[in-house]
Amino acid sequence: MKIFVKLFAYYRTGRFSAATQEYPTDTRVADVLSRLKIPEKDLGIVLINGRFVELDQILKEGDELSLFPMVGGG
Amino acid sequence: MTEVAPVWKDERYSRQTRFAGLGEEGQKRLANSRVAIVGCGALGTAQAELLARAGVGTIRVIDRDYVERSNLQRQLLFDEQDAASGLPKAIAAANHLRAINTSIAIDPVVADLIAPNIEHLLNDVQLILDGTDNFETRFLINDFAVDRNLPWVYGAAVGSFGMKMPVIPGRTCCLSCMKSAAPTSAQPTCETSGVLGSITAVIGALQVADALKILACGPESVAAQITTIDVWSGEVVQFPEPPANPECPTCGRREFPYLKGGYRAPITLCGHNAVQIYDETRTLDLRELGERLQAAGSVRANDFALRFDIPPYQMTIFPDGRAIIKGTVDIGVARSLYSKYIGD
Repeated sequence: MKIFVKLFAYYRTGRFSAATQEYPTDTRVADVLSRLKIPEKDLGIVLINGRFVELDQILKEGDELSLFPMVGGG
Repeated sequence: MTEVAPVWKDERYSRQTRFAGLGEEGQKRLANSRVAIVGCGALGTAQAELLARAGVGTIRVIDRDYVERSNLQRQLLFDEQDAASGLPKAIAAANHLRAINTSIAIDPVVADLIAPNIEHLLNDVQLILDGTDNFETRFLINDFAVDRNLPWVYGAAVGSFGMKMPVIPGRTCCLSCMKSAAPTSAQPTCETSGVLGSITAVIGALQVADALKILACGPESVAAQITTIDVWSGEVVQFPEPPANPECPTCGRREFPYLKGGYRAPITLCGHNAVQIYDETRTLDLRELGERLQAAGSVRANDFALRFDIPPYQMTIFPDGRAIIKGTVDIGVARSLYSKYIGD
């Protein structure tokens, strides 16, 4: 299935800003993180279609997944 | 005898009182408000200048650090002279803020906000603005604010990206609902990844807009919404905050782990190439210490801090016993320099 993945802030470094990626059915958010090599512990916000979800949320065909890191500078 | 007009009727606020959202009534509320800014770096200086110009009656500026040349690119209030003098940021900010607005009270505090002093530093404010550069302090602010039912506004930035989120206890989620503890992994910081002055100015300004609304119109007036901005790509993304988590250690279970966690580690990494040592039991006489250290290296001191250069290290020592040792990330080296020059 196709998932539209959007990355924010420094998650883009060495990856991409936004991309449509192919994933198997029943892929969870955590599986996407693992494929993108984003450590779960510094993950800030996960949205699917603009709504907050947990890491075990299962994605559906055509979902837009947004990943934001915790941002600490100031 | 002519009657003196109340401070909120001052001509200087005329453009603000004409704004329908505030009016004279709102201006009066701002004049009677008391706000704390925790961390006076890029976000904190932007917030402080805007709050001072807006006529917020009392602004407490809390910061543990001193002005450096590398701050000048984005930290709005500071100038070259502040950096050359090595003034603590809270003091330098207060000097500039007083020149901007003499009719408000500025209360600078040179300190690291930690669990043992948070009650003393924040117990009398109506609102806290986040100008910090680390999550440990943010989680501490969050615990205190939720415990006391105080609104606070999270803000952060790195690179060209920033985020803002108001926390209104009882109405919105809190920081711990989103992440139960401060991240432990090494994260990009302004020191390692850089930061643009435009993103910190934008985020600081958004935090101040929420602050003015909360102070003038009440905490219920702000939207429970997260705003993210990337000033380089031009993207603005807004979405509703998640619902409060009943299992949240702070607002759900009310355990307040950071508030009750006691003392912060006495030695912490502080920025890119520096270590902070905080020996809380010590009170230092900087004049006496300066005289003693002159034999060992170059010493510059003002009333608030002493800078001691012993290449390749630089120690900035504060009267409360705290020292920031620049030039190393090795805690052992920092501890040894502290013992050698300040004492065990």
